[in-house]
Amino acid sequence: MSFFVDSFFSALSLMRSLDPELMTVVGVSLKVSCLSTLAASLVGVPLGLGIGFSEFPGKRGVITLLNTLLALPTVVIGLFVYSFISRRAVFGSLDLLYTQNAIVIGQFFLILPIVATFTLSAISRLDDRYRRTAMTLGATRLQTGLVVLREARFAIMAAVVAAFGRVISEIGISMMLGGNARGFTRTMTTAMALEYDKGEFVLAVALGLVLMSISLLVNVALNLIQGRGGK
Amino acid sequence: MLYQARNLRREYDGRVVLNIPELHLEEGRVYGLLGPNGSGKSTLLSLLSFLERPSGGNLWYRNRLVRFDEPSLLPLRREVVLVDQHPILFSSSVAANVGFGLKMRGMGSRERNRVVEECLELVGMRDFFKARGYRLSGGETQRVAIARALACSPRVLLFDEPTASVDVESRIAIEAIIKRIHQERGMSVIVCTHDRLQAARLAREILFLFAGRPSEFAHENIFSVQVREENGANRAWIGDTVAVDLPGPARSGDKISINPKSIAVEPDTGGESGPARLHGHIAQLSKEGDRVRLVVEVGVPLTALLRKKQLLEQGLTVGDPVLVRCPEHGIEVLG
Repeated sequence: MSFFVDSFFSALSLMRSLDPELMTVVGVSLKVSCLSTLAASLVGVPLGLGIGFSEFPGKRGVITLLNTLLALPTVVIGLFVYSFISRRAVFGSLDLLYTQNAIVIGQFFLILPIVATFTLSAISRLDDRYRRTAMTLGATRLQTGLVVLREARFAIMAAVVAAFGRVISEIGISMMLGGNARGFTRTMTTAMALEYDKGEFVLAVALGLVLMSISLLVNVALNLIQGRGGK
Repeated sequence: MLYQARNLRREYDGRVVLNIPELHLEEGRVYGLLGPNGSGKSTLLSLLSFLERPSGGNLWYRNRLVRFDEPSLLPLRREVVLVDQHPILFSSSVAANVGFGLKMRGMGSRERNRVVEECLELVGMRDFFKARGYRLSGGETQRVAIARALACSPRVLLFDEPTASVDVESRIAIEAIIKRIHQERGMSVIVCTHDRLQAARLAREILFLFAGRPSEFAHENIFSVQVREENGANRAWIGDTVAVDLPGPARSGDKISINPKSIAVEPDTGGESGPARLHGHIAQLSKEGDRVRLVVEVGVPLTALLRKKQLLEQGLTVGDPVLVRCPEHGIEVLG
């Protein structure tokens, strides 16, 4: 126990002094997580809306598939993306492997089902009168979609936050596709795993604290936004 | 002709909820759409407002056959606005709600605000211009919803039970607004309600719907019956005390409807009760055009419509004992 307390206080001093290595790792993590969340939101939200709004054969199958993909292990995604971007693969010439872009691509596939299914669920639960009211007042399909999106915005924001929480804390994809290269593709989780392997707990604990703080901050921000919207 | 329909049908999961062989509605009139719950009124309004597609049949709007594909429907929806039974306001200000339709039509904010103010004034909600929608009561929400529909300057306004969930004061205000809209703006109005008196107050022409089909009259006095054969007659028991003779075959559990106009009411001079003669007392009297509506308690409440003159001649009033006769020809087995 005392070793944890010692590590905890050492970690606090590391954070206070804005340790360059700690800052680099946190910066890489935030960068790839924000980019993958942004990309997944840009694709996932319209995808969820599209599935929710339209009727097509096999719709139930698509929803079931998306729900199944929610439980996809990160290592499976890592392997899947690796098979496309490794040197001798289809996109090997793009030199993506062991880059931050590779991590972003992998994380994109990880959270796309989360954003899409949560968006779908949000608009399915939304009162249908919003859609009917917008339509009877002369809104086009696109305008109606935007109305629904606006009314479901807090639930969709929660989907984006959940997706961000998933990528910032994942390790499999970052390790397999990023390679844990120091100062380049080392993220908080891969650094923690490495430090643990080395038996160096101070940086690992510091990163853990940062990780939890980020998670807390994001959720507090979401609660504030939702609170304001609910008034 | 505003609307014309032929064999218009709507099904949900294979169940037919609306089946209208023929419908003609003229432009510039106020129509009342009357029927009990589940009679298909709201479904018909959804079709007439082009929010739903029929499962079969044809609908003409202003003499043009409606093609229920998205590009054709948008211009039609911009001429017809439906005000829901329980309208929902968007999570924005009252002004933004009322101006929504205008914004969708690309109107600039200055002109939009002018129209919004005008419409809120018309429904007596001008002071609520900046208020948030969620702060309004049911009656206020209904009025804002009417202003929101009005702002679009539609050719046709459809109301789905506009006063179903509001208090008396709001009901009076909403009815006055609907009358004013028609008188001042000449819009065609279709008001769906299950309140006969409201339909009579608002509309000059009333359409009756029952079980998804047009009906010659409003089905009233609807009861589930137990059928027994007694003395060679097919007798229907409503509860344990009231029995009527049926015009044709029926099964226990079927519903029957007794036409209020066919029911004869006279002062009770005594004598035995039976299927042809039901003893009771007048529980309620109300005026309905040149007739008087009586609710007679005979074990179950029976509604009868009598001519005012007849009632005056008989000197009947509330609480009087009466003898009620329900002739077979006034009874319809609904199945």
